[in-house]
Amino acid sequence: MSQTTEIAIIGAGPAGVSAAVAAAGAGAKVTLIEEYARPGGQYYKQPAASLNPARLPHSLADNIQRGRELLAGLNHPNIDLRCGTLVWNISPDRVLDLYGPNSAERLQAKKVIVAAGAYERVVPFPGWTLPGVTTVGAAQLLLKGQGLLVGQKIVIAGTGPLLQLAAVQLLDAGAEIAAIVELKSRAEFFAHASKLFGQWSKIGQGMANQKRLMEAGVPIKYGYAVVRGLGETWVTGAVIAKVDSAGKPVPRSEETIAADAVCINFGFVPSTELTRLAGCDQKFDPNFGSPATVTNPDFETSVRGIFAVGEVRGIGGVEVALLEGRMAGAAAARQLGHQPNGHDVRKEWERARAGVESLSAMFAVKPGLYEAIADDVLVCRCEEVTAGAIRSAVRSGAMNLNSLKAWNRCGMGRCQGRNCGPVAAQIIAAELGVSPELAGVFKARIPIKPVPLSVVGAVEEAHPTGTAMEDHVGYGRAVVR
Amino acid sequence: MTVNGRPVQAYAGESIAAALMAAGVRVFRCSEASGSPRSFFCGMGICFDCLVTIDGIPNQRSCMAEARDGCVVETNG
Repeated sequence: MSQTTEIAIIGAGPAGVSAAVAAAGAGAKVTLIEEYARPGGQYYKQPAASLNPARLPHSLADNIQRGRELLAGLNHPNIDLRCGTLVWNISPDRVLDLYGPNSAERLQAKKVIVAAGAYERVVPFPGWTLPGVTTVGAAQLLLKGQGLLVGQKIVIAGTGPLLQLAAVQLLDAGAEIAAIVELKSRAEFFAHASKLFGQWSKIGQGMANQKRLMEAGVPIKYGYAVVRGLGETWVTGAVIAKVDSAGKPVPRSEETIAADAVCINFGFVPSTELTRLAGCDQKFDPNFGSPATVTNPDFETSVRGIFAVGEVRGIGGVEVALLEGRMAGAAAARQLGHQPNGHDVRKEWERARAGVESLSAMFAVKPGLYEAIADDVLVCRCEEVTAGAIRSAVRSGAMNLNSLKAWNRCGMGRCQGRNCGPVAAQIIAAELGVSPELAGVFKARIPIKPVPLSVVGAVEEAHPTGTAMEDHVGYGRAVVR
Repeated sequence: MTVNGRPVQAYAGESIAAALMAAGVRVFRCSEASGSPRSFFCGMGICFDCLVTIDGIPNQRSCMAEARDGCVVETNG
């Protein structure tokens, strides 16, 4: 027998937790499912229990405190929090397959709120698979969760305001920041920042970060990109180069920077695997080069009863995620006949969302950087498929991401194309001379992350009809092909 | 806990990946196709590069697993 719940919420980050608190407060029974061992998501990741928070830099204290206050709301009799549990399948009629401490379970929900968050976009360069090359978020998580520095001398590279924020946190924790390597020119960076007019807290934080970095003598290389990671079994440095206005590295502008960690972030990719699997409509976000889930004003997707909030709807940051979670939790509870309390936050949300539109442009990657990925550079880390192999597949007939798989297994490894998909799409688009949107997105497949075969088998055995392995082809309308 | 038979100190509740890095373990495994060294990359359970064997169960994401007293970790480098 399946278990049942009123509202299943997937992801216990800012959006999911605030949705759970709002829905439970309205009287709904909530099952909040989190893949990691503890709630908080990446943004509100809490320090390991045995770690003395005093060891963490002052710049993280506020984040940890706010997270703690939010998470305190989960202590509610209507909330069943299931940590260490992966939702690996979802059907349009809201049946979820779970893999967690109790092994395989099936959950039928009256409403589902997908708050799966986002992951980071990385543009490959030779050496990006070397140990010591990580995402910027990985370095932040290591610091927040474990009080550990990813390296002593760190290069932070990519694009967007996150680089400078992360640099300050790592600096405060005692690291040396060898350089911040920002793809946008100084003029472009500040032109984008000036569009934040009215978003005083963001401008204030940005200026405080810049001041701190200047005082510490951290070089910010605007209009540069990492073109090579150095080292054999651990990264020993990075070669950076100037980029032209299209994003292409300029010949003979290379500089070598010694470092024992290179951390990369080119913005974020909404985690839409579950909403795509359920057949929810998506729209393409050109700034992040990825699909995002479309909803109505109540945050309900095109599939009735399935809601999406936070980064899944498009990268919006923590304030937007918190407000969307709250509104969606209330809306889902209301549909079930409960009476949500609390004041309406739609006006606050509209303000927060307006600021995000200008912020998004700060993460756009110039196409020249993708074109400059040399043929011998790995794009798919899992199956080890190079940019050259992708280009040659396109020349012999691959028209989009899904047909590319048949040529060289790009995107078919354990990460299921999460890392390579947005990059391969750009390479295909450049080869064909079309928009990256037309290169499509890797089809979401179950299980959305690897699970033991025994888990799939257990579901098959318990539910011989309407099986987990049923193909989801044909559900919904694919706006993104 | 032990790492490749060597005793390693870890904080309860920290990730196995963090414990490995703090202990100076750099290469967590080698890739299947080319044998190139891999380690902690995304830190959030997306990339599957940081896979290790934990208590005899292979291919566990070390960034998602918490260190526990007495757990046995083997890298595949």
